[in-house]
Amino acid sequence: MSQVVLDPRLAPPFPKAALPVLRNPQLRKNVAHATDVIQAKRGKLVAEKTDWQELRNAAAAIKDDVLSNLGNYLEEFEARCTEAGGVVHWAWDAAEARRIILDILRKEQASQVIKIKTMTSSEIDLNPALKSAGIEAIETDLAELILQLGEDEPSHIVVPALHVSRSQVREIFARRMGLADLSDDPQALTAAARTYLRRAFLTVPTAISGANFLVAENGSVAIVESEGNGRMCLTLPKTLITLAGVEKVIPKFSDLEVMLQVLARSATGERMNPYTSVWSGVATGDGPQKFHVVLLDNGRSNILARKTERQTLRCIRCAACQNTCPVYRQTGGHAYGSVYGGPIGAILTPQLQRMEHAQSLPFASSLCGACYEVCPVKINIPEVLIELRARVVNQERRRGVRFFDPMYLGMRVANWFFTDSRRFRFAQSWGRFGLGLFTQRDGWIHSLPGLGARWTMTRDLRGLPRQTFRDWWNARLKEGQ
Amino acid sequence: MKGPMPSRLLILDRLRTATVRPAHEESPILRRRYIRRGQLSEQARIQLMADRLWEYDAEVVKCTSENLVGAITDRLQMSKRLRFAAPAGLPAEWTVPGFDWKIDHNMTYEEIEQCDGVVTTAFAGIAESGTIVLHHSQSEGRRALSLLPDWHLCILRTDQVVETLPEYFDLFRNAPQFATYISGPSATADIEMTRIKGVHGPRFLNVILVQDTSKVDTAAIQGRSQ
Repeated sequence: MSQVVLDPRLAPPFPKAALPVLRNPQLRKNVAHATDVIQAKRGKLVAEKTDWQELRNAAAAIKDDVLSNLGNYLEEFEARCTEAGGVVHWAWDAAEARRIILDILRKEQASQVIKIKTMTSSEIDLNPALKSAGIEAIETDLAELILQLGEDEPSHIVVPALHVSRSQVREIFARRMGLADLSDDPQALTAAARTYLRRAFLTVPTAISGANFLVAENGSVAIVESEGNGRMCLTLPKTLITLAGVEKVIPKFSDLEVMLQVLARSATGERMNPYTSVWSGVATGDGPQKFHVVLLDNGRSNILARKTERQTLRCIRCAACQNTCPVYRQTGGHAYGSVYGGPIGAILTPQLQRMEHAQSLPFASSLCGACYEVCPVKINIPEVLIELRARVVNQERRRGVRFFDPMYLGMRVANWFFTDSRRFRFAQSWGRFGLGLFTQRDGWIHSLPGLGARWTMTRDLRGLPRQTFRDWWNARLKEGQ
Repeated sequence: MKGPMPSRLLILDRLRTATVRPAHEESPILRRRYIRRGQLSEQARIQLMADRLWEYDAEVVKCTSENLVGAITDRLQMSKRLRFAAPAGLPAEWTVPGFDWKIDHNMTYEEIEQCDGVVTTAFAGIAESGTIVLHHSQSEGRRALSLLPDWHLCILRTDQVVETLPEYFDLFRNAPQFATYISGPSATADIEMTRIKGVHGPRFLNVILVQDTSKVDTAAIQGRSQ
């Protein structure tokens, strides 16, 4: 497990990174089971909302309005949050965000922090930075705790440990918590986590959270969760640091009436998640007395500047696209080499990395469009994937590195045939003859030589029919006469 | 890339430059055509609230305001617990005799943690999702109070229950400083998608739905969030 690399700059290309999962039946079973369960729950609850499409339209429109006026909404959030007693910091990139957070923690003389699950903190590699500064980070979400104690990496945005089975959890907890007699009953495992973390909640004076929404109108922050670890971290410590991407802002408090409805149904298949907390600044006698918000750009303003890709920033991290994606369901999240896996990761990761890394990710899709259909904020992921593929190809073409690459050679040959109908028909008849040699009696091609083997080693190819559509059409016309 | 410009100005400048260009041509226009108003009768709405709470494994009882104190006593006795926390604004007659009551006058977190349960009011209920809304007024208690004890009894008047989430947002003009939305007890499905009740928040959620509100002291229930 520990060989998993979730740093897009170091991770191997997708087809290579996917192999360990494809060769591990237990892992595939875990991923399939979890995504099936969430999808079934989601489907049921979405079906009962007769206004689901109107909610999606409104959610997409709210986020688009935000993105078109992002500077103004962020300034409004900053002003209202500051009035309420919060301190707002701006981080251009991951390194600056880490530096800001470490500075705050040093001032607080913190030796430990409790953390609510935040993908953004993984995006900026916060935990290794805390460790090298001598600060112990304690993950409090059950899944994150499993990963932290098991020295593993998240494989899903909402249920990050879905690839870990109960017996593996038992083994990790028994070893790291010193509980030799622990059973693998999820109830017992959950109870062990409760006991393990209770002291930390009551004694660690600093907490770090992400944010689901920042409300411009009154400077408040909203976090949705299930376990209550979020409420603990938001309420009990003396100092709270919230790290949020700049795109997390929404205009009005009442916009939550749309966002909460679509998020809970899409993410966990619930009408509402068990706990949602909203707070604005600080108050005497209730909760932390010091509150910091770190607003993170880290490549987001670059995404905003691109017309087609801008919609990527509507994402509310519900992971519905992961659960439905036929590629993710086979490979799991680690193959994406980033904390953001699945279709949204395939478009977000290369963009956050300014297209220098993760170039194989836009190709890790069959473009079937299932992700677009379930997306609660209507991100047209296939459209963005195609745009990003074009960018990757253009980059490579400019550099000329791929001139003799078989794929590019093949594409140029195909281009020559496809642009002339006589050449095309000629290729068709020779193709039918050539493939006919490999077509079995059942009409399928089970194995091809050379590059063709890369297709047939994992699936069969249907043989070409005896007659092309054009031939059939012409024959039909003649019969009619 | 960064230059001498502070990050705040740099980011705002970049965001503004980026959005000078027009948005995607298919950019949707905000039309709030989703369902705002519920359609159910009052009785059906209350029943839906109760049913949804049941689905979450919360304990729900209905009572009238005349026998509320009796209903509270019943719930507390059935819990087989002794020491209960109460927010300072909870009506005094609800802290029924026979139990060890700790009224929250700046209790420490350790003291709250020592309590077996807590009794609070709520700001509203949302029937469609079975959600209890706390705005943390004097009778709803500060946030830690309804979090640390393992057992939570929430007293909700039926006229506080709305059907849809948008209806809840119409109940107030100014957003509350703190709000907590509770939909069932603390839960997780992180291990093989098996739903387990009770991780860190209260494992037991109890709700008394109070009908006929004429005798309930509404002033005590509203508090600072209004």
